[in-house]
Amino acid sequence: MADNPISAAVEARGIAVGKGGDPALSGLSFRIEPGSFTALVGPNGAGKTTLFESILGLIAPRNGVLRVMGEKPRRMRRQIAYVPQASQFAHDDALVGREFVSAAFESHRFGVALPRARRRARDAVDAALDTVGAGNLADRRLSTLSGGQRQRLLIAQALVNRPRLILLDEPLSQLDPAARDWVVSVARRLTERGIAVIFSTHDVNPVLGACDRVLYLAHGRGCIGRVDEILCEATLSELYGTPMRVIRDSGRRFVFEGGQTSPLAEAG
Amino acid sequence: MPEFLQFAFMRHAFVATTAIALMGSLVGYFVVLRRQAFASHALSNIGFAGAAGASLIGAEPMLGLLVFVMGAALVMALTGREMGERDISVGMILMFSLGLGALFINLYSANANAAIGILFGSVFGIDADQIRWIVVVSLVLLGGLATLFRPLRFASLNPEAARARGIPVRTIDTLFLLLVGAAAAIAVPVIGSLLSFAIFIGPAAAAQAWCPRIGAGLALTAALALTQSLGGLVLSYYANLPASSCIGALSFGCYALSRLTRRFA
Repeated sequence: MADNPISAAVEARGIAVGKGGDPALSGLSFRIEPGSFTALVGPNGAGKTTLFESILGLIAPRNGVLRVMGEKPRRMRRQIAYVPQASQFAHDDALVGREFVSAAFESHRFGVALPRARRRARDAVDAALDTVGAGNLADRRLSTLSGGQRQRLLIAQALVNRPRLILLDEPLSQLDPAARDWVVSVARRLTERGIAVIFSTHDVNPVLGACDRVLYLAHGRGCIGRVDEILCEATLSELYGTPMRVIRDSGRRFVFEGGQTSPLAEAG
Repeated sequence: MPEFLQFAFMRHAFVATTAIALMGSLVGYFVVLRRQAFASHALSNIGFAGAAGASLIGAEPMLGLLVFVMGAALVMALTGREMGERDISVGMILMFSLGLGALFINLYSANANAAIGILFGSVFGIDADQIRWIVVVSLVLLGGLATLFRPLRFASLNPEAARARGIPVRTIDTLFLLLVGAAAAIAVPVIGSLLSFAIFIGPAAAAQAWCPRIGAGLALTAALALTQSLGGLVLSYYANLPASSCIGALSFGCYALSRLTRRFA
């Protein structure tokens, strides 16, 4: 049952995922609870995007079982919102924030929205803008917004269809530190509504205080747990298959491979 | 009734232009939103080769135009990877078609007026049968656009999120290009392939500069397109200038004004 309250937002048991050749990920098992904040961390090419695509049902796992809210991923697409990276947007400069956000509302339906649906759309857009604290962006043209403001609108757009799971794809890239904190706190706020958040980032430091758990991918494998369970030398050395060092400095963490002197991922 | 509407050719021109201006500019709104102006322009021009080819084998030029444009729209959809990344393939298809058009005209030296007429349009040479055809097809295409409206809007603004939501973004893209192709095929004999920007792009681009909402932007687009194209007809009648030139000049003037006012707004 999709609405079974005890089913996990996402559950993977021994999945292998990939598009051809060797799977990008294999032997991956994890469970993500409704209303939880999971940081999806790992160096570039570790399979973060591949994992998102499999959760969205765009690629099927070759092995193992993957369930989204207890169902096959494809059947739950309407319950999931995917937030791509904000840097890719150039098509919408002429429109205002409200128009961009409302484009997602019931977007799978054909035909033009009738007046009743338009009223519902307006309410959903207002609520979504309110949730991410972007009411002041509703009437501003997208071309005048900063990266952090655009990221907020992207999250608001993801919220208009009331998803139960949100996948954020590197939402912090190209943001300044203040904007990063905003975006993290907005994502944290979503979990209070029972939405499960999976937040991919190559730098775990901005989300250390907000995330419940870390799902760390490297070399096609992954492990999940609390920050201290994952970002420690024993766990990461096993994951990478080589001795790893984790250095803590004023609350931040940096991961180094063996004797290397530059961190692999900023903290990742 | 104003003096210029006393002539049947003027009345025909008014009806045909109204249908094409409304349909073409509203389709064009999404062309501009999706930054596919080049593909739209290419599709309009490709029709010329089809018309020339049809003349050569003794077929109806309109039919040749339609086949070429729809075929090209399909090839563009299949070869272009993502929207906005297909300029080169569009350009190559356009170049190849124009080359074919030149070849067809060269082979068919007897009378290439039908094909040449396609380049600049012949709005005052439309008969009642053509009008019926233009109005019906325009309504069908507007219906198609309205049907695609919500998925097309989301897929245009955020294709990745749309794909994740299960919206068939590639299929929508292909259907939209076919829609643009059909719109070009119906508009080109009237406005001319070289001047199709006047209806497809000009009004929508000006409206998007002035109006940041989609609903109001569509209304403004249609209003501008009607004003410019019917205004162009009247101007053409009284100034004794080619209709396409007048419509093109009004469309350009309005677009230039929109850029200037936005810059200094």
